[in-house]
Amino acid sequence: MLDVGRHPNITLLAYSELEKIEGEAGNFTAIIRRKARFVEEDKCTGCGACTEICPTSVLDLYNEGHAERKAIYSWFAQGIPSTHVIDPDHCRVLTGKKCGICQKKCEADAINFDQKESILELLVGAVIVATGYDVFDPAKLPEYRYTQLDNVITAMEFERFLSASGPTEGHIYRPSDRKVTAQIAVFEKKVKKSQKALDRFEKNHGQDSVEFYSAYKAGSLNANDDLEKDQDKWAKKYEAHLENATPLEALKEKAKGFTSAKNLAFIQCVGSRDLRFYPFCYGYCCMHSIKEAIIAHEHDNDTHSVIFGMDIRAVGKGFEVYKVRGGNNSNISYKRSRVAEITKNTDESPVLIYEDTLEQKVKRETFDLVVLATACEPVKSTQKIADTLSIDVDAYGFFKTQPADPLDTSREGIFVCGCAHSPMDIPESVAQASSAAARAVQAIMKKNNKKAS
Amino acid sequence: MTNDILVLGGGIAGIQSSLDLAEMGFRVHLVESLASIGGKMAQLDKTFPTNDCAI
Repeated sequence: MLDVGRHPNITLLAYSELEKIEGEAGNFTAIIRRKARFVEEDKCTGCGACTEICPTSVLDLYNEGHAERKAIYSWFAQGIPSTHVIDPDHCRVLTGKKCGICQKKCEADAINFDQKESILELLVGAVIVATGYDVFDPAKLPEYRYTQLDNVITAMEFERFLSASGPTEGHIYRPSDRKVTAQIAVFEKKVKKSQKALDRFEKNHGQDSVEFYSAYKAGSLNANDDLEKDQDKWAKKYEAHLENATPLEALKEKAKGFTSAKNLAFIQCVGSRDLRFYPFCYGYCCMHSIKEAIIAHEHDNDTHSVIFGMDIRAVGKGFEVYKVRGGNNSNISYKRSRVAEITKNTDESPVLIYEDTLEQKVKRETFDLVVLATACEPVKSTQKIADTLSIDVDAYGFFKTQPADPLDTSREGIFVCGCAHSPMDIPESVAQASSAAARAVQAIMKKNNKKAS
Repeated sequence: MTNDILVLGGGIAGIQSSLDLAEMGFRVHLVESLASIGGKMAQLDKTFPTNDCAI
């Protein structure tokens, strides 16, 4: 990534989109729309002082919604370019409110609320489409109750949990437990505030709030003039305090039993090899589930994982060895099954209902956390990109190619690689990207040679 | 006529294509719709089968 930012032959146009392309192979004119960052790229040093001070919190999609970022942010800490960007939908200034605190804080004077988007015209000989994929939305499978059960998450969400720079700093805390912890923090803040008010009354009248309130309620309050003046206010404050303090105690009691998730279930082929959605195998979910189970075990040796799949397809170089090693060293069991349904028990733990095909029995098993290996699907904007580039898409929505020319799209001079082509893992994407680069060079050279002859 | 090449998408595939072309001496314009490049791979913790760090 860093090399891309530094290479003299690469112009990095981040936060930009292709608007239009005209012409033909060897001679395309591309119109690029550079979205307004509201931060000057040549001034911003990426120090992050603006992010620290920004008062607006927004759901962080880089962390799959399990953390918050600020309205001025960088997509992730090591992002290239490190130039920050202001989210126009949430920034106070850009939504017409008063703020501008980041502008005052920025020592590089890089914040520019008046920045407008700009249009860039480029002459290019060839185009490589590497627009990637989207994660399949598991809410489409009602039987897995993804939207209703907090402790059923996607593999991408789990990946963020495993990351030391993620929302849980690498610890696998269950989302339902994190919700309770977050509620505790909110109540604690309120209770702290109301306790301060009560402290003032207690100090002024030399009496404990609990004693005062019970006497007040019983009508046995021995009130002097001062107390008479304050008693209604004090009682009201105490009642308001209890409204927060009582649920806080209950939540704290509940949180006592929380530990990190140690009993994990991985469900394969969610949205793939399924005639309702994508009938094909997308090829890498067996491996990423094994990897995630291995990393979880590395982090906490008490972790036990069960991978539920129709079969484990470990077909790449070194993959079979990796699978066996996971089973032998990382406490992973592989279970041949297609999980029928997920429900939950009283402590929010997901309960899997599945048929054990070896014993030919329907079983129920409880886990701490369920990870769904969600399919790789075409990006939502695929059709828009295809229309802009005037290229075809296939029946599943990936860019159309021919078997004999696997990286050539339906328009000469435009090539495709990576998951925009079809689902594939990282090594394959890298190999295909190099091939696409070679194809693009060939297309340009062919045109140059034609012109010379 | 131009020898410049446009790469759409700054994930692992777009990054690899861009670097290969740049190393071959071609000028590359790499367009990414998000604020920084890295794509899905930048969200991953480690990669199989070597458990190397993804970033």
